[in-house]
Amino acid sequence: MAAQQDEGGVPFAVAHDFQTFRLLELPAELVQLLEAPNPPPLSIKSLPPPASNRPSAQPAYAVLCTPSKSFHIRQVQTSNSVFVTQPTLDAHGNDVPTPTTCAIAACTATLELHPVDASAVASLEDALPLYDIISGEVDATHNGKSKAAVFADIPLSNGQCEQGWTEIVAFETSGSSYRPSVNTLRQVWSSINAAALAEGMKLDSQFLGYDLAELVREEGYPASLAQAVFGHLASAGQDTSGQWSCLDRRKVVSFVGRTLLQAKQGSAGHSIADFVEEWKDSLPEAWRGDADLMAIDGAYDNPTSTTIVARGNAASATAESVLPKATAAKGKWHERFAKTRKK
Amino acid sequence: MPTIPLHPRPFAPSATAQGSNPLPPLLRTPSGLALLELQGDIRFPPTAAQASTQVGKLVFPLYSPDLNGEDDTKWMKRVYLYVGKNQRMAGEVKKLVKPFAVIRKRDVADSEDVVMGDAEATSTGEELEVVEIVKYKILFATRPEPVGGEVE
Repeated sequence: MAAQQDEGGVPFAVAHDFQTFRLLELPAELVQLLEAPNPPPLSIKSLPPPASNRPSAQPAYAVLCTPSKSFHIRQVQTSNSVFVTQPTLDAHGNDVPTPTTCAIAACTATLELHPVDASAVASLEDALPLYDIISGEVDATHNGKSKAAVFADIPLSNGQCEQGWTEIVAFETSGSSYRPSVNTLRQVWSSINAAALAEGMKLDSQFLGYDLAELVREEGYPASLAQAVFGHLASAGQDTSGQWSCLDRRKVVSFVGRTLLQAKQGSAGHSIADFVEEWKDSLPEAWRGDADLMAIDGAYDNPTSTTIVARGNAASATAESVLPKATAAKGKWHERFAKTRKK
Repeated sequence: MPTIPLHPRPFAPSATAQGSNPLPPLLRTPSGLALLELQGDIRFPPTAAQASTQVGKLVFPLYSPDLNGEDDTKWMKRVYLYVGKNQRMAGEVKKLVKPFAVIRKRDVADSEDVVMGDAEATSTGEELEVVEIVKYKILFATRPEPVGGEVE
């Protein structure tokens, strides 16, 4: 179909009432995503306004999320007038309605996208109270938020939130969500290991994670916490959403070693020999030989040639963490209050 | 803060019959939407009884697929926008380095029956949709020059 221009040009009109459109610049990967046959739903998340007791006042901003990626949305003023046009059939003073290009909206700003590669770990550590177990008693404050509610307040895609969630072994139980302390992890692992031994389950083969989590629950640990441990230690490619689980042996050995070491209080250092023995005793029998300092390389220091201590704090190592230490201190106060109020 | 869903497709896609879009095919999109950018503002006295006012004409002087073939793109380099009786702007059709998604609010009443794929989207009722992905724009980057008389 030839354009009208050979008959004197395409009439250009401007609507009296403009509609509202936003123009969002798309990087190539989003164009591909959106043009594919069944594009995934996208969403725009905003950072909640900062709590009044936070020293760094971060302004609220918006993030575009695909299932696995997120992008900062930045508004850019345009110096020119950008019109969105649509074809209409108009009879401006003529008898015959003519196909016309009509401006139906004007955009004074466009939106740019900038990829956000951040980890959700820092935000999750901020949002999730610590779940500690001291002398057999649970010491935790309740945030009353489901995992979904916590994710909704983090300006990252679901996929990125899930990665962070798995990384810190977070779990949801009884309407609240938590992250386990190293102390809790040490204890729940001990329960998992003992239950697996009792049931003859080989952890690096397919086993019924659901059943094992139930056994651990009978020992007093939330089943969802056991499942979170299975997810954290899952072998590559394992579907962590079903009843079956399978753990990666090397991940387990490293996790157990680091957890045991971090759970030991005090910076003075502990006997390497005693530590390694304890580590061996905490592993499935067949894996005892794997307990070797090489497996936790980078996670420890040697104050002397015969002692060992965990390097730094357990969690946040990311430079992006806003208030790691301050938050942790505040958390402990909340936990102490909760403990005196509880039971 | 509530998460706002952005639907990748319009709920009620309005496909204009290709024949009634007077722009060259390269600028035609399924929804008919296109982008036109110019310096300054267009001023015109609105006529009461109408929804819009014709302010000028777009001319693509080099566009001639019959002569140059369907794949010719040299015509993109020259576009004129005649405004009123006395002004003309010279511009071109540019391929956007990054295509624009044209986004508008979705009328939520329309989408009542649509199943929300995003389970945790806490809805305030505001939903957005991508109406079109536009890859070209007609750009008039220079000031208008005075012209007189009829378009040849």
